[in-house]
Amino acid sequence: MNTVLQAKGLCKTYTVNKHKNDVLKNIDLTVYEGEMVAVMGPSGSGKSTLLYCVSGMDKVTAGEITFGGKDTSKLGDKELARLRLNEMGFIFQQMYMMKNLTVLDNIILPAVRSKKNHESRRKTEERGKALMKRLGIDDVCENDINEVSGGQLQRACICRSMINSPKMIFADEPTGALNGSSSDEVMDELLSLNRDGTTLMCVTHDPKVAAKCSRVLYLVDGGIVGEKKMGHFDPNEMSIRDREKELNSWLMERGW
Amino acid sequence: MFWRILKKDLKRKKTMNIILLLFVIICSMFASASVNNIMAVTGGIDHYFDIAEVPDVTVSMSEDCEADKAISELPSVKSVKTEHYLTVMSSKHFTHNGKKLDNFINPANFLSADEMGMKYFDMDNKVISSVDKGDFYCTSPFVQKMDISEGDEVVLEIGDTTMPLTYKGCFKGALFSNDEMSSPYIIINNEDYRTLAKDKYFNAGSLSTKRLYVRTDDVGAVRDAVKGDDNVYLSTRDEEKGEYLYDMLTAYIMLVISIVLMLTAFVVLRFTIGFTLSEEFREIGVMKAVGIDNGSIRRLYIVKYLAISVAGAVIGYICSLPLSSAMMKTVSEHMVLEAEKQGMLGVISSSAVVVIIMLFCYGCTRKVKKLSPIDAVRSGQSGERARKKNFMHLGSSKLPTTGFLSCNDVMSAPKRFGIITAVFTLCMLLMTLMSNFAVTLKSENMLKFFGVPTCEAHIGDMEYMQDIFTDGTAYQEIIDKTEKMLAENDMPGSCTMSFGANYETFCKDKSAKLTYTVTKGKTDDEIKCDKGRAPENGDEIALTGYAMKELDADIGDKIKTVIDGEEREFTVTGKFSSFQGGGYAASLCRDFDFGNDKITTTMGVQIHFDGDPDKKTIDDNVSKISRIIESDKVYTTSEMIKQVTGMSDTLDTIKKMMMILTVIVTALIVILMERSFISKEKSEIALMKAVGMSNGNIIAQHTIRFAIVSVLACIVSTIILMPVSNLVMNWICSMIGDVSGLKCAFVPVEIFAVCPAILIGVAVIGSFLTALYMKTIKASDTASIE
Repeated sequence: MNTVLQAKGLCKTYTVNKHKNDVLKNIDLTVYEGEMVAVMGPSGSGKSTLLYCVSGMDKVTAGEITFGGKDTSKLGDKELARLRLNEMGFIFQQMYMMKNLTVLDNIILPAVRSKKNHESRRKTEERGKALMKRLGIDDVCENDINEVSGGQLQRACICRSMINSPKMIFADEPTGALNGSSSDEVMDELLSLNRDGTTLMCVTHDPKVAAKCSRVLYLVDGGIVGEKKMGHFDPNEMSIRDREKELNSWLMERGW
Repeated sequence: MFWRILKKDLKRKKTMNIILLLFVIICSMFASASVNNIMAVTGGIDHYFDIAEVPDVTVSMSEDCEADKAISELPSVKSVKTEHYLTVMSSKHFTHNGKKLDNFINPANFLSADEMGMKYFDMDNKVISSVDKGDFYCTSPFVQKMDISEGDEVVLEIGDTTMPLTYKGCFKGALFSNDEMSSPYIIINNEDYRTLAKDKYFNAGSLSTKRLYVRTDDVGAVRDAVKGDDNVYLSTRDEEKGEYLYDMLTAYIMLVISIVLMLTAFVVLRFTIGFTLSEEFREIGVMKAVGIDNGSIRRLYIVKYLAISVAGAVIGYICSLPLSSAMMKTVSEHMVLEAEKQGMLGVISSSAVVVIIMLFCYGCTRKVKKLSPIDAVRSGQSGERARKKNFMHLGSSKLPTTGFLSCNDVMSAPKRFGIITAVFTLCMLLMTLMSNFAVTLKSENMLKFFGVPTCEAHIGDMEYMQDIFTDGTAYQEIIDKTEKMLAENDMPGSCTMSFGANYETFCKDKSAKLTYTVTKGKTDDEIKCDKGRAPENGDEIALTGYAMKELDADIGDKIKTVIDGEEREFTVTGKFSSFQGGGYAASLCRDFDFGNDKITTTMGVQIHFDGDPDKKTIDDNVSKISRIIESDKVYTTSEMIKQVTGMSDTLDTIKKMMMILTVIVTALIVILMERSFISKEKSEIALMKAVGMSNGNIIAQHTIRFAIVSVLACIVSTIILMPVSNLVMNWICSMIGDVSGLKCAFVPVEIFAVCPAILIGVAVIGSFLTALYMKTIKASDTASIE
């Protein structure tokens, strides 16, 4: 399998009032193409920091990160921005969007900016609408972002993360602000994306979400203390309930 | 607790608080200085008139006039003091350091120290009680543009008299104007005065005059006593205050600037408070949730702004002292001011700034009432949703992404950007209005309001045309000798001469003293009437609006006066604008003659060279004429305009000051607003970075927003500039004379290029530099944003 993302000896230290806080300690991590990796751990374990560091959104204190064969720790701000724009997609717990743009404009903004596909704006708009239709939110494309529900907005964020056909999508608690049914719908969309070949890395607190991933990393105090390979989720092979049970017992062994 | 919260807030929003402080400082500084100036000029005039013993009525007349007897005999008159003057028509009779003076255009008047009818003050505000033989004091127009020090000798050579006089300094005379265009007054020893009076030069009719200072309870009786005597000029104490119009105009301009600055500060304050409250919805919600009432929460914010405004007002007041003294320097050169009041006024106006700002802050914190504890829980969302129409769509727009986002931001917040546009428009207007005023006062157009016909050169030497003051028919001789001189010296041309005399005029049961003017010689110029038509026959006349109002006359009515001993009747044919006679003027047809009556006013001889010569030839001709008639008072049209409207240079200085002030104010607004935007849009900036927008794109987006707003401001200000310029200019002119319908001139390069470039440049550079701050926001900050 091809490697999409690799981190070696990754360290991140925050200094608050001259007091150093080592959030990530010497982390080695490899994500392969087509994987759906869940990052779990107690609050303050460094899950989100790990996600932001490996995606180039935050600078690392030490270590090496390779994304798509490029050493991102050596890239400048401009190159990192271009990499995020063309090769990565992001989904956040809070459904951040540009307040002054419609839902559709928010989705197509990275594509218009990127020009990766060398297509007309009309074409980009059509692709945006097609994505929205696929995620079942095509009826709100002209709506303002405060006119749609949380679930619809998170699905719009997924559309935005997909618009440039990225190599990998990073999701930070993508279902954290959603209710049960919306959460399931969003996870189903992410699973569907993964089945189509998109690599995903997802930070979550929810074992139900993690149970749908192919691999789970467990972080405690800035270090990976466990890794569970679960294989791609196939409801015909094993029900989600059984996968969740298996994962829960594994997590409890690690102090969850 | 208040202090702890305040300290934390001041530290947290350092830049915004510093800019706010700067605004309060500027406001307080200008408010204090300009109020000081206005109060000194307006309120100070009464004080000055009191200590200078300005009488109830001042009556001026020629030496041979006997109206003084009639006045003295009036029962209502308490006292009469008389000053006698000897008039020297030209500055060239004075020599300093071997060079003839050419620094003043109007005749100089000598007064004996023994006859001073009022109190005159030296520059240290000490009353001048006597002048030693051989010494002299003078008003400032005599020494303007001259390098003279106390003890220097000035030699007067006139007729058969040569009199060396030692300069003792300038003096302040409450009724003597200090305007550059005014006649200088010189106080000399009585013995010197008598020597001078004996010279045959002063035997000419109008060169010896007298002024009566009358104390009376019945001004009307004095007015009646001199009624019908055309060569007697009466002015009341209130009318004499008009001498200080120029000082008042400058003071009012400064006050307008202060008001504009104050308005700008309010807008800035409104934004800052609005942003602070919307940012702190959570804190406010939590405070309400734990039971703190609205008043206490509002007090928290008001305490902060009170601290900033008090600090700003104190610093502003201190900074206003040098500004105020610079502004007062000119005024105090003209007047004796009450020193103790000045400091108090500054403190009062600075305190007023604090009070006004506090009241405004209280109004702005109303939003606190609207925020509820639920806001703290729901991240500022009330749950209610209102549809907002998006006018622009990225998919269908042809604009580049950055440009689209900037335009969309501006369109999505019309109120916010509308207010910034309004403030920028005000800044732009401050610059362009001053530019228009300065150029209008320099334009040839202005000369017609002084009764000067179109020409290429002017002779302003009063001595050259001295005969006109004793004989109203002497104009022909002056025109002929000038045309002859021009022809003999290869500068063929035709001449005109504009002059006038004052006559008591009657219409129905009303009367008014009007300045009658006529232009003689060859010219195609005709007075332009705002209403009706110009007079075409000897029995027709055009009046100014003020004159028509005073006489209750209208077009078609007949007015009467006595000219050259003969009662004349004129039909009013039109209404025209004029500065002459303070707006009380009448214009006669070119055929009209004053006969042998004395002429009281002239705008000199105007020369129109044959064959429309170029500028260089005109300049050469002016120098040549100057050499031939041995006078420095020969001017090109542009020089003449400068002589007539002495204010244009001051306005030029104010214009430059405005440009500097606009740069500072615009830069401060841009920095404050952009910092506010960055802090309000932190989450969006982080998000944009997260999805792959570079710093450059986001900085450009923010910079373009200000560029759009400043371009809009330039467009709006350009559209309203001319109507506003005309309105203000006409208002100013109406205070000096009766001029309406004046169209302001403008310099296209300044209005359409320089001023917009300054505004747009400052807005773009300011927003760009401030937007660099957003580099500190990281893509990963999306995680820590609420």
